[in-house]
Amino acid sequence: MVETATQSVITGVMMGVIYALIALGLSIVFGVMNVVNFAHGEFVMLSMYLSYFVGTALAWDAVATPFITVPLLFVFGLITYYLLIDRTLRQMYVVQLAVTVGLQILMRSVALIAFKAQPRALQYSLIQGSIEIGGFTILTSRLVSAAVSLIIIAAIAYFLNKTWSGAAMRAASDDLDAASLMGVNYHRTYALTFAIGAALTAIAGGLLMSFQQTDPVGGVRYGLLSWCVLALAGLGSLPGLIVAGIIVGIAETLAISFIDPRARLLAPYLIFILVLWLKPRGLFGRK
Amino acid sequence: MDLKRYLNERSLIWLALLLAALLIPVFFGTNQYAMVLVTTVLLYAVLAAAWNIIGGMAGQLDLAVGAYLGLGAFTTGTLLIKWNITPWVGMLVGGIIATGFAFLIGFPLFGFKIKEVWYALSSSAMVEVLRVLFLMWDGVGGPTEVYLPTVISPLYSLRFNTYIPYYVIILVLLIGVIFLNHRIRSSRLGYSLLALGEDEDAVEVLGVDSRASKLKALMIYAFIAGVVGGLYGCIYGFLHPSFFSTALSTEIAILGIVGGLGITYGPLLAAIVLVSLKEYLRSQLGGGLEGLYLVIYALFLIVVALYQPRGIAPLLETGYQKIKSLFGVRADVKSQ
Repeated sequence: MVETATQSVITGVMMGVIYALIALGLSIVFGVMNVVNFAHGEFVMLSMYLSYFVGTALAWDAVATPFITVPLLFVFGLITYYLLIDRTLRQMYVVQLAVTVGLQILMRSVALIAFKAQPRALQYSLIQGSIEIGGFTILTSRLVSAAVSLIIIAAIAYFLNKTWSGAAMRAASDDLDAASLMGVNYHRTYALTFAIGAALTAIAGGLLMSFQQTDPVGGVRYGLLSWCVLALAGLGSLPGLIVAGIIVGIAETLAISFIDPRARLLAPYLIFILVLWLKPRGLFGRK
Repeated sequence: MDLKRYLNERSLIWLALLLAALLIPVFFGTNQYAMVLVTTVLLYAVLAAAWNIIGGMAGQLDLAVGAYLGLGAFTTGTLLIKWNITPWVGMLVGGIIATGFAFLIGFPLFGFKIKEVWYALSSSAMVEVLRVLFLMWDGVGGPTEVYLPTVISPLYSLRFNTYIPYYVIILVLLIGVIFLNHRIRSSRLGYSLLALGEDEDAVEVLGVDSRASKLKALMIYAFIAGVVGGLYGCIYGFLHPSFFSTALSTEIAILGIVGGLGITYGPLLAAIVLVSLKEYLRSQLGGGLEGLYLVIYALFLIVVALYQPRGIAPLLETGYQKIKSLFGVRADVKSQ
């Protein structure tokens, strides 16, 4: 009982950090641009497919695929921004939502037609296997992915706090008009933000492909998971994002171990709904 | 005379539409495929017209029609299977349960001023939660499909082997829902909803209880979706947790937005255009391209949202005015 719980918590913490990375792109886009990207989960799905194709074509390990998929997703983010998002900035929010919901369905259904419904997975990975510590199993793939996720989140924190582009993003997030007066071209800042948000999903996609399979409708799960993490964390706090990810990860593994494997999805959704009711700004929200 | 007030151009158009709808079974009643098509169109139109109350008028992007539909279907079906209660009663009970559920969800949700994206997401999450809960609830079938029996008579258990009765029932429902839309629009509730869709804080200042208004809108919408859900289960003849569908919920919201937010006939128009297109593509393409209709839905949604944010219904209106002016009727003169 206690052992199962501890094992679940260990796995949950590692998964949680990866969830924080998945939610990071969404958090930046929503935080800076106040744009809701309903298609975020589908970006993750697309990244996983790209990782799969790069991995099979070049016989690369899943964890190496982001070197190719990150630039691809960055460009895809730029195109999406200028083609769709930029035109909705001054629209009613229902219109904004409608455009990204449309993008979500578009990406999912194109994926269904192009990639068919059967799930795909990469054959093997460098980081497979597990480590035994004190009777508990630690899956190497989760451990490495969690470590990489932490590094990426730290890098993004550095970028936001110490570089001019990062400062421009934070300024645009705080007060768009004032930032514009100080010489921030907000179209360019927003485009960069959205592209970075998309590129981050490529890293997450590569990591996920080292131990999971992908299918066209799987994006919905990552999307709602990201929103759950974001709702729990609130906007504007990267450490909060990690803690929120870990809470969701642990809740998920505990639900699998103690209730029913089918209850896996319930935990994040119930947390999401409860957090919205009880703490609408999240646990660590700045605004 | 009072009658004259109602006999204007607009109501004549509605009457003509109604007549055409009633003639469909007369001419195409033997064509099973045509009846399935028109029944499906009307089914989506009823749901979209109900969605219009919460989504169009109150401006809440609700993505939970599947939740209320599923609750209605499971209530109706389970009452029939376990206690032989006729779906005519079951549908009402299903509607009431869906309304109660909407109250439980909406009361805290609107109380905590959850709106915009968070409302959309939580409603979408709710559909998934219910789907998983019903998958795990073996008492009502769990993951297996439970078939609805025919007891006493087809009319008693609402199990017909032709679509005509279903078509007629849904048509009556649709007329009711459109009439309700119309009534709400010109009521105090309707004005409050339309106003709070625009600017909630301003409306609060003017003394409108935005929470109560939104809650009322949500409950009316949930009741209709629950009743339709009962019928939905009977039409398909089985119960399955996949009725709690996020895809269907999004589709209904798309119809509402593409048709034109808050416009009474918008959802009907969008349902006629998009659902026919979808069924046509399905019958023509099939195979691996079954999902193509979703691509077209998505493109439609994106294009309408970007270039015609008020929906396609106003296009019809301007087209109609143009035709009238072609025939020498001045556009601004209302026939009295």
